[in-house]
Amino acid sequence: MRMYEFEGSDLFRREGIPVPDCAVATSPQEARQKAEAIGLPVVIKAQVLVGGRGLAGGVQTAESPDQVEEVAQRILNCSIKGLPVHRVMVARKIAVTQEFYVGVTVDGYKGTPVAILSSAGGVSIEEVARAHPEQVVSRPVPIATGLVLSEAQQMARKVGLDGEDLAQVASILHTLYGIFRKYDALITEINPLVRTPQGTYLALDAKVEIDDSSLYRHPNFQVALEDSIPNPLERRGHQIGVTYVELDGEIGIIASGAGLGMATMDIISRRFRPANFLETGGAITEDLLYQTMDLVLQKKGLKAIFINVYGGINPIHEGAKGVVRYIREHGITIPVVAKALGNRQEETWEILREGGVSVVTEVATEKGIERLARLMEGGV
Amino acid sequence: MSILLNRETRVLVQGITGRIGRVQTKWMLDYGTNIVAGVTPGKGGEEVEGIPVYNTVAEAVSKQGAEASVFFVPAGAVKNAAIETIDAGIKLIVIITERVPVHDVMEITAYAREQGVRLVGPNTPGIITPGEAKMGIMPGITFTPGRIGIISRSGTLAYEISANLAIADLGQSTVVGMGGDPVVFTSMPELLELFEEDPDTDMVVLVGEVGGVQEEKAAQFIAERTTKPVVAYIAGLNTPEGKRMGHAGAIIQGGMGTPQSKITALRQAGVPIAEYPLEIVGLAQKCL
Repeated sequence: MRMYEFEGSDLFRREGIPVPDCAVATSPQEARQKAEAIGLPVVIKAQVLVGGRGLAGGVQTAESPDQVEEVAQRILNCSIKGLPVHRVMVARKIAVTQEFYVGVTVDGYKGTPVAILSSAGGVSIEEVARAHPEQVVSRPVPIATGLVLSEAQQMARKVGLDGEDLAQVASILHTLYGIFRKYDALITEINPLVRTPQGTYLALDAKVEIDDSSLYRHPNFQVALEDSIPNPLERRGHQIGVTYVELDGEIGIIASGAGLGMATMDIISRRFRPANFLETGGAITEDLLYQTMDLVLQKKGLKAIFINVYGGINPIHEGAKGVVRYIREHGITIPVVAKALGNRQEETWEILREGGVSVVTEVATEKGIERLARLMEGGV
Repeated sequence: MSILLNRETRVLVQGITGRIGRVQTKWMLDYGTNIVAGVTPGKGGEEVEGIPVYNTVAEAVSKQGAEASVFFVPAGAVKNAAIETIDAGIKLIVIITERVPVHDVMEITAYAREQGVRLVGPNTPGIITPGEAKMGIMPGITFTPGRIGIISRSGTLAYEISANLAIADLGQSTVVGMGGDPVVFTSMPELLELFEEDPDTDMVVLVGEVGGVQEEKAAQFIAERTTKPVVAYIAGLNTPEGKRMGHAGAIIQGGMGTPQSKITALRQAGVPIAEYPLEIVGLAQKCL
């Protein structure tokens, strides 16, 4: 679950990381009021859950109340990478003498947290790491002991800090690691952390993503589904409990298993274009496949459906009943080809055949797609 | 022989009294797995499929000599159960459970490394040594005994590739599902090393997918250390950026985790790449 910047800033403030005075507004008038309370000039920032909003015009400065209204109006009317902007953050404009990057994330390969500090903030850390690796310090953190303050101080020294600056930046990195652990984050990142002319440090951005699998122990965190999954079909998939990714082709896919689903996409892409990726997970029921058929058929211009499932943990014969019930009730006429193998496969084939599904009993998905191609060309 | 698991291995099932634990215990027993005990806290004294259930792992170890454990434990209980199991002296733990919090996985990983315990998963179909035993949820019917080791990030794709190989009379020594999460306990290079040392494995099939750097690390290991032939298939050539493809770990982000990067790394290490799953069969035949 990715947090909005204003939520992340609020979390940082509560946990002891200094952030500029800021507020959220949903209308130009509200933005003006908030800006007057904070004090001008201000920075107005689109609140959307994608990166690159600065380049898309979603971050702008306003010097006067009138200009605040005008800029807020413009940002609230636009959309960034397809996401409409419903809220802006109004933040005091800060004078900056230097920008840093401070982050904590998961090293998936090593299976440890990793703390990262860079003296080149405000730009993509991946690019800095490529172009100027000497400006980036990154350390795996032993999870049992956590990031000790002296380690954070060494990292700060390595990026060229000393004295009071070193103490402040190390303390912020140390606190950020604490937030990462306390809230089960996959990433906590400040880019940029800025030094003001007075020598204080402020977090000018807040990127926080919480591990979805841990949300049961953080019941206060909630993002509206419309915001986190803007695509309506993908949202519907999430609601019924499958992973659906909309693509721009004409062959619908229903697969049990992520790798099998991707392989099916790859094979289909040799001759056709997949309309979606869909992975059922390990909890197939009659009802789930009924709803999955309904979801896949929402896509406009669909010419055929390919079902590719294995009965390991999944009762595929139950799923088959859902597929044929949907076909019967809705009079589906486009070709539906199914390859279903594993526990209770014969029973599954029987159910599918009776429901008008073309059943492939061979193992290779490639053979199934050949069948699909013949059917689409009017053969059998 | 095989890696990690054989017909002698004394297997414990944790979460044995749950709905899935019960069904899977039956199927694992039917396959020939030497299940000696189950554990569900509070259900000690019961039996499932004739297998005695204990309250603690320590009891299962002392009374039945359990040496490996497969988990059907709810996600929120996995961390404590894993630490209990490590402390009880079990040396192999296979965690089938989906949606285990990533921080819990990191904590378990650190503790297991310290104690010298091997974990596989989470979010994995498990491990199967065909014809001998399985710790997991894969359908036994799709696997055949033989001399090819399979390391797969995907469950069902490993089933399909194993079944394709069987049609060509090529069986498997052991098939290991690594798990679909962003952090998994055992890496591709670690599993490659086990197969490298196994006298009954002649070659290895890697089944990778988009996301992470497992395949790139495997390529490095193969270039430096592996003497047995390795062939690979990488799923997800047509994956759009920024979308999680069913597995939490299967995502291309900021240009990282692309299939092209994995394929290039493996090719440079001399690994033939199948463009589609069925091509693995032909590539394997050329190696043997």
